[in-house]
Amino acid sequence: MTTVLSARGLTIGFPAPAGPPNVVLRDLSFDLVPGTLLGLAGESGSGKSTAALTAMGFPIPGSVRLGGSVTFDGIDLLQQPIAALRNIWGSRIAYVAQDASQSLSPLLRVERLLAEPLRLHLGLRGDAARARSLALLASVSIPAPETAMRRFPHQFSGGQQQRIALAIALACEPAVLILDEPTTGLDVTTQFQIVSLIRTLIAETNTAALMISHDLSLLAMLCDELAIIYAGEVVEQASAAEIYARPRHPYSAALIDAVPRVDEPGLVIGIPGLPAARVSESECAFADRCSFVQPKCRAAHPALVTVSERHDARCVMATSLGVIEPQRQPPLDVSVSRSEGSLLEVVDLRCTYRQARGTPAVDGLSLTIHPGETVALVGESGSGKSTALRAIAGLHPLEAGEILFDGKVMPSHASRRARELLRSIQIVFQDPHASLNPRHTVREIIERPLVLFEGSLSRRERRDRVCQLLREVRLEQSLLNRYPHQLSGGQKQRVAIARAFVAEPRLILCDEIVSALDVSVQASILELIAQLTSEHGTAVLFVTHDLAVVRAIASRIYVMRNGCLVEQGHTNDVFTAPREAYTLELLAAVPRPRVENAAWPRRVRISPEDGSAGDESSTVGA
Amino acid sequence: MTTAAEVLTEQPAPSTFRALRSVVTSTGEGRVGFTLLVIFTLIALFGHQLAPYSPIAIATGSPNSGPSLEHLLGTDQLGRDVFSRILAGAASVIVIPLIATILTFAIGGSIGIALGFIGGRFDAVGSRVLDLFLALPPLLVVLVVIASLGSSPVVIIVSVTLVYSPRVARVLRGAAQGIATKEYVQAAQSRGEHTYWILMRELVPNMSSTVFVEFAVRLTYAIIFVATLNFLGLGVKPPSPNWGAMLFESRVTIITNPIATIAPTVAIGLLAISIGLLADAASRQFGLDEASEILR
Repeated sequence: MTTVLSARGLTIGFPAPAGPPNVVLRDLSFDLVPGTLLGLAGESGSGKSTAALTAMGFPIPGSVRLGGSVTFDGIDLLQQPIAALRNIWGSRIAYVAQDASQSLSPLLRVERLLAEPLRLHLGLRGDAARARSLALLASVSIPAPETAMRRFPHQFSGGQQQRIALAIALACEPAVLILDEPTTGLDVTTQFQIVSLIRTLIAETNTAALMISHDLSLLAMLCDELAIIYAGEVVEQASAAEIYARPRHPYSAALIDAVPRVDEPGLVIGIPGLPAARVSESECAFADRCSFVQPKCRAAHPALVTVSERHDARCVMATSLGVIEPQRQPPLDVSVSRSEGSLLEVVDLRCTYRQARGTPAVDGLSLTIHPGETVALVGESGSGKSTALRAIAGLHPLEAGEILFDGKVMPSHASRRARELLRSIQIVFQDPHASLNPRHTVREIIERPLVLFEGSLSRRERRDRVCQLLREVRLEQSLLNRYPHQLSGGQKQRVAIARAFVAEPRLILCDEIVSALDVSVQASILELIAQLTSEHGTAVLFVTHDLAVVRAIASRIYVMRNGCLVEQGHTNDVFTAPREAYTLELLAAVPRPRVENAAWPRRVRISPEDGSAGDESSTVGA
Repeated sequence: MTTAAEVLTEQPAPSTFRALRSVVTSTGEGRVGFTLLVIFTLIALFGHQLAPYSPIAIATGSPNSGPSLEHLLGTDQLGRDVFSRILAGAASVIVIPLIATILTFAIGGSIGIALGFIGGRFDAVGSRVLDLFLALPPLLVVLVVIASLGSSPVVIIVSVTLVYSPRVARVLRGAAQGIATKEYVQAAQSRGEHTYWILMRELVPNMSSTVFVEFAVRLTYAIIFVATLNFLGLGVKPPSPNWGAMLFESRVTIITNPIATIAPTVAIGLLAISIGLLADAASRQFGLDEASEILR
C-alpha cells in the first residue's frame, strides 16, 4: 500500500488565559491510501473537524500546533508557508464543506465556480475550461450540464449543490479529498446518492479520501478504514467492518448500541453523561461514561494498543475485555388495545404554505392515534410532515379537513382551544436551542404549564412537581436556576421534554426532537421518551425523517411524500414488507454497516433527485 | 471552537441587570460615558441650588466679561452669570428629551412590536403608514405643531414623540419580527398563552439589547433636536436658562466673548457624547453576548 498523505502525532490546542493550552486533538496519526476512504467518526466537540482541517495544513484561527506532522509529497504541510499551501489546496488536496448552500458563493454562476480552480491551478481558460467543466458536471450526474452552467447555486436543490461542490473539489484531479460531513442535513435518499457518488468517484479517480462524520452507521457502510475519535483522541482504529463486527473499545461498542438500526427492532441504549469536552491527561477520558470502568482506568491515561492485526484500541482492558457483544433492549410492546377508541383523529387534512399560497403542504392526510400509543410520521424534507404536526398543535391554519380529539372537533387555532384541550396536547420542538426562551430559567420554563393549567397548586406544590419532573428526565436539581445557554444540547432537550410532560398531557407531539443531537445523547433521549410515555400512558406523534429512529420507538408508522400519505401500518410490517416503492427506497437508503468483505452495495433504484421531492427545496429557496 | 464545558462553566446568567452592569464597568467607553452621565444627572437635579447666582438675574457683573473668579465662565451680554445658567439650564435640556424619548418608546415601541409580532396584512398596512410618517421632515412637522399650538414643554414633548415614534417603531418591528418566529414563542402559543403574556414575557425580554441601544441613540438625537428648537427660539421662553437658547442669545458676541457660546456648546456636546459612549459600550457588550451564544 502506498500512502499519499500521512499524519503523525497531530496535537492541536487553543491557548488558555492561564496555564497550558486546552488540547482539543492529541496524538492523531493516520495514512490516506489512493482509492480508499478513511472515516473519522466522533460526536460534537470530539475534535474531528479540527483533525480534518489540520490534515490539509490549514491553520485554524486561534489554535496552536503543539506537535505532529502531515507528510504529503515528501513535505511537511505544517511547516509550509501559507503561499505554498495555497498552491496545494484546491489542486492536490481538495476540501468539501458540510453545507454546500453556505460554501458555494451565491453571487457566482456555476460556470465561474468551476472555472476558478481550473484557471488558477491548471491554467485552463476559454473553451478548454468550459469543456472540462461540462465533463465535471456530467461526472457528478448533474442533469443538463449546459443549462446548469448558467445557473446560480440557490437554483439547485441541497443534494445538487453538494454535487457541484464535489465537482469543484475534483476539478484539478486532487490526490487527496477531505470531506467534512458532506451529507449532514440532506435527506436520506439524497445522502445515499451522494455517498454512492463519492464512493464511485474515489474508485474511478484513485483519490485518497478522508471523511468526517458523526454518523457511525454511514461511515461503517461507506469507509474502508475507520477511526473513532473521543475527546480529541482516537480510541479505536481498524477496518470499518472489523470495528462494527468486533468492537474492542467500550465507547465504540456503546456507540454501535446507541445507533438505531432499521434492520432490527428494539430500543437503543444511550450512553450516560455528556461527551467529554477536553482531552484528559491523567485518566481515560471515557471513564465517567464507561460501563466497564475499573479503578485502573483512572490511574493512568491509556495508550493505543494493538489488539489484533491492524486493529488498535485505546483502553487498558482492550485485550482482556475481548470483543464487546452488542446489546439491545427488548423490542417495545407494540400490542396496543384498540378498544379504547381513538385519541386523536386527523381527517383529510389540507394545509398550504403561508408564503406560497396554492402549493399544498399537506394534501389530504388522515391518521389516527390511540391512547398511549407511539406513532411515527415519516417523510423527507418538504413532505409536509412538520406542517401537519404544527396544524395539530394549533400553530398552522387548516385549509380543509378536521382534527378530532376525543371524538370532538378541535378549533384550528391554539388560542381558540379550551384550556383542558391545550393541556392535553403538548409539543416538543426540533431545536432545543430555539425552543427555550434564553431569558427564562429552567424552573420558570418547566413551571409555566403548571401555572397555566393547574392554577390551584400552591407555590410549594408547583416546586415539588418541577423537581419531580427534573428527576424523571434525569437532570440535576442544581440546574433549576440556570439559563438555557448554560446547558448542553441534550440537557436543553430534556428541559423541553420536562416542560411538555409536567402538565400530564395525553398526547405529545415530537417534531424531529433528536435530529439536532449527538448519537449517544439521541439514544438516551429516545430511551427517556419511551420510558416517560409508558409510565404516564401518554400517546406520542413522532415526526422524523430518520427511519431507524422510528423502528426503535414507534408501534405504527405513516409515510408521507409531497403532502400525501404513501403508506401506513405497524412498524414491523412496514419495515419487513413495505408495500410501496417509495417506502422501499427510503428503507434502502438508510445507511447500514456492510457485512465483512462485502462489496459496496449495487445502486438501489432510486427515483431521480429532480423528482418533485428533490425540487421542493430549490423552489422554496428561490 | 469553544468547547461545551467552557461555555457551561464560565458564563454568567444573562440577567438584564448584570448585562447593564458589565456595560458600565467592562469597557472604557462605558466607564467614561457613565461617569459623565452621572455628573449631568446631578447637575440636572441640583443645578438650581448649586448655582452661585440666580440664573435669570441680570447685571451680576459687567456684561460680556470673560472668565474670572466671581464668574467662572464669564457673563453674557446682559451680565448674567453663564456658569449659573449652565447649571440651572441642565434640567430642561435633559428632562424634556428624556420624557419625550420614554413616550416615544411607549408609543412607537408598542406599535412596532405589535406590527412585528402580528405580521401579515396588519403589518403590511401598518408599515406603509409608518413610511408615510417617516417621509415627513422632522423639523417641518414640529414647526407646524408649535406654530398651531404655541410653544410649551408639553407641546415640545408631544411633537418630538410624534416625529420619533415611527422611527423607533420601525427598528423594534424588525427586532420583534426576528423573535416572533422563534420556537419558544410558538411553544407559548401552543400552550394557549395570552398575547399580552407572550409579548411581555417571551418577546420583550429578548429585545432588551436592541431596546437599550436604540433608546440611547434616540435620546441623543432628542437632546440635539430639542436644543435646535431652543436655538430657533421655539422652546422655552426667555429668560429661562437653556443651553440651546443660550447659544442663540450669545451668537452676536461670539467673537468678543466666545466663552458664552462655547460653554453651552460643550455642555450639549458632552451630554450627547456621554450617552453615545454608553450606547457604544452597550452594543459592543450585547454583541459579545450574542457572539458567545453562537459559539456554543
